[in-house]
Amino acid sequence: MGFLTFSGGIHPYDGKELTKDKPVREYLPKGDCVYPLSQHIGAPANPIVKKGDRVLVGQKIAEAGGFVSANIHASVSGTVKVIEPRLTAGGTKVNAIVVENDGLFETVDFSEHIMDLSTLYREDIKDIIREAGIVGMGGAGFPAHVKLSPKNEEDIDYIIVNGAECEPYLTSDYRRMLEESDKIILGLQICVNLFDKAKGIIAIEDNKPEAIRLMKEKLKNNEKISVNVVKTKYPQGAERQLIYANTGRYVNSKMLPADAGCIVHNIDTITAIYEAVIEGKPLYTRIVTVTGNAVNSPCNLLVRNGTSCQELIDAAGGFKEGRIPEKIIAGGPMMGKAIYSLDVPATKSVSALLCFGHDEVQDWEPSNCIRCGRCVDVCPGRVVPSMLAKYAENGDIDAFLKHDGMECCECGCCSYVCPAKRHLTQTIAGTRKQILANKKK
Amino acid sequence: MEQTFKISSSPHVRDSKTTSGIMLDVVIALLPASVFGVYNFGLRAFVLILTCVVSCMLFEWASEMLLHRASTVGDFSAMVTGLLLALNLSPDVPVWMAILGSAFAIIIVKQLFGGLGQNFMNPALGARCFLLISFTGQMTTFTYDGMTTATPLAVLKSGGTVDVMDMFLGRVAGTIGEVSTAAILIGALYLVLRKVISLIIPLAYIGTFTVCIFIYSLSTGIGFEPLYIAAHLCGGGLMLGAFFMATDYVTSPITKKGKWLYGIVLGILTFLLRIYGASAEGVSYAIILSNLLVPLIEKITQPKSFGKGAELQKINGVTAVEIRKVNKLSVLIATIAIFVITFISGVALAYVHKITEKPIENAKQEAKEASYQEVFSAADSFETDEDFDREQAKALLSEAAYQADIDEIVIAKDASGDLLGYVLVVTSHEAYDGDLQLAFGITKDGVINGISFLSISETVGLGMKADTDSFKEQFAGKKVESFRYTKTTAQSDDEIEAISGATVTTNAVVEAVNAGLYYINHMEGGGR
Repeated sequence: MGFLTFSGGIHPYDGKELTKDKPVREYLPKGDCVYPLSQHIGAPANPIVKKGDRVLVGQKIAEAGGFVSANIHASVSGTVKVIEPRLTAGGTKVNAIVVENDGLFETVDFSEHIMDLSTLYREDIKDIIREAGIVGMGGAGFPAHVKLSPKNEEDIDYIIVNGAECEPYLTSDYRRMLEESDKIILGLQICVNLFDKAKGIIAIEDNKPEAIRLMKEKLKNNEKISVNVVKTKYPQGAERQLIYANTGRYVNSKMLPADAGCIVHNIDTITAIYEAVIEGKPLYTRIVTVTGNAVNSPCNLLVRNGTSCQELIDAAGGFKEGRIPEKIIAGGPMMGKAIYSLDVPATKSVSALLCFGHDEVQDWEPSNCIRCGRCVDVCPGRVVPSMLAKYAENGDIDAFLKHDGMECCECGCCSYVCPAKRHLTQTIAGTRKQILANKKK
Repeated sequence: MEQTFKISSSPHVRDSKTTSGIMLDVVIALLPASVFGVYNFGLRAFVLILTCVVSCMLFEWASEMLLHRASTVGDFSAMVTGLLLALNLSPDVPVWMAILGSAFAIIIVKQLFGGLGQNFMNPALGARCFLLISFTGQMTTFTYDGMTTATPLAVLKSGGTVDVMDMFLGRVAGTIGEVSTAAILIGALYLVLRKVISLIIPLAYIGTFTVCIFIYSLSTGIGFEPLYIAAHLCGGGLMLGAFFMATDYVTSPITKKGKWLYGIVLGILTFLLRIYGASAEGVSYAIILSNLLVPLIEKITQPKSFGKGAELQKINGVTAVEIRKVNKLSVLIATIAIFVITFISGVALAYVHKITEKPIENAKQEAKEASYQEVFSAADSFETDEDFDREQAKALLSEAAYQADIDEIVIAKDASGDLLGYVLVVTSHEAYDGDLQLAFGITKDGVINGISFLSISETVGLGMKADTDSFKEQFAGKKVESFRYTKTTAQSDDEIEAISGATVTTNAVVEAVNAGLYYINHMEGGGR
């Protein structure tokens, strides 16, 4: 029997052997921490501290700027140095709170937030999650409490935990599953209990047999939560593809997962929910995989929000002798963002720092499309990328929309396989952004 | 520290497959067929392959320089075109024709339409069809083992029998690359294993064609004859076309459904053209016709994007399964539509052939009569000698070591119906370039009236001088046993002055006339 999957997708070199057996190590920042006020999708948060204020670890320093927005908490103790625009991994300058780290890590007492789970109403739990500033930690940064508050609560059938970790090189979710499986299971249990008929699914790619075995073992008597083994293939962890693989339900760009009765959460997000509800701890840490062929000792680090990326590289033993990387990527190689400076903070949605000694993209000049159809074969959105890119290049928005250009999830498969090395994903993504921006006007 | 790194849009990794790598794979896959072609047809085939490849690459380089385009000579695509063109040529075509074909393929079909990836039909096949229409004679003359031979498909079409094993291995007449099914399949296997081509198009194509041939053989009384079907599969350019040319990325549909449909259309068209068309082969035309259908096929086979219509599921209570059913129906309708288009165009082609067959036949007859008149101006009417036995004549002539055949004997009569003499149509196999066919008239007293060429394609300026009055008049009014040619001035009646620089042609003409005279004089009842 084949594993659960979707049609299309690719099998790039996964590079996971560099870090998959490296246990998570906590890293405490030495220098200042920078907290961009926009680490999530939605309105930026509003600072509630001012220059000169002393803050503690876990203290709320910025408040959500709307329903689709998230609180931000300090991850070190120290004084607020300045609030000014700072460079972020996205490549733009974003207003940020800079905290001078006093190195004491004096922490807010979380125990007073801990409440007896049995006395809590569902709305209380959602409030806790909102208060803890939890956002989707797979990369997009969608606030978790919004996902958990769909309009059609009674229709939610599945809460799917994305343990696919299909992006090459990333091992943070894998380590989390091995090391803190109980937190994941309990976190999922909390989410499942928010809905009347929801069931939990932990979806794991078949290249992580140890995680599958461990989770299955722990869940063998659990009727509400099951483990699904999905085929190792990129982008198995893409939200729509994951939902289809696990439930056979389709979600398109006009829908939210909740419209198909599903909610998908990242492993780290679920852990954060556990920590917020059970331990009273807001979100200020995450696991970052620091890897690539240019760093000395690739590793998985438990990182405090706001830590400088330079410090993370140093924590991984720095760059190899005489091998200054050509490219550094915040996130995985397929959808991560290349950063040109290490002077950016690790935020809630930075899952990895990937350092390539050589940038292979620059090796190729795009040439004419030879219509080989490889992009069509791999496209998980089942569109025709070569055609969409042509419409995009010609500025033909009508044709782009007619041929379902908005169904592209920008996973990068088409650019990856293109033998003519055309920048298909980039071209299509640019036009999508433009269309979305015009819609908002 | 000021350290900047390279930035670019995601994804940041790329597959190792490149356009040039794919093209190189195709070249490698064509090697078995090429090598076998050279083994089979000798040095001539090698020269043609080299000519096509080199001239295609040169034309590509030159036209891209003139058009101010980035050079794509290095991506091997021109090499693939050259190789495919050569494999689609008869080993007997002259080198200049191969160069002309290469120019047409690269300059007209490929570069003028926008270069790599923009051509509307397969360049090699476009060139082949261009040559086929322009130089039908040379493009369809196939020699094998030094003999001009009909291709197995031509034999099959005229009702003969063929050796399927020879066809599979390639011990038959045909174009350089199409003869050996075995060599082609080895190359195709390589392409499939390297994931350069998917099997959809070849399977749909060959499958559909097989079904059509099967139905045809059942309905025409040939019955279930596996060897007949196998002969059609191994014959002509089907295998080369199905695996190497129908799968050409640029000119085949990009969508999966489109590929199936395209293969089916190809199968039907090839069947219609082969069975009902004018020539025994139809693969090339079927493929370039289907190339033109590709935009239409793609338009109706757009894949349904992931989750399309899923938002309607809950609102209308339509389940996903039902949506899928509706979708299948629309594909079915589209398929039927394309099928109908194909069938109509195929039948139209065959029908056009049928209605033009008679006029073409009449025109040919008229041309013949005109040439009879030319060599026997005194005659009032001509009628074909029904008693003439070709085989008997052939035996008689080969006994006398003549390299010529008598094709036809026509009786010339005057107005009152009395016998005046005969017109003989003779083909010589000794000419410089292919066969040479002539007619000459001879009175019942044995005096030659004149000669005329029905088919001649000798070197312009040399051999072609045979078709001038000053040369032809040397035969007129003479009554001899046989002629011989001289390189000096003719001294007697039986001497013909050779065309300078074209003794081969002169010899062929003289021998053809001699063969005719020999036949007239030695035939039983030679008194006629």
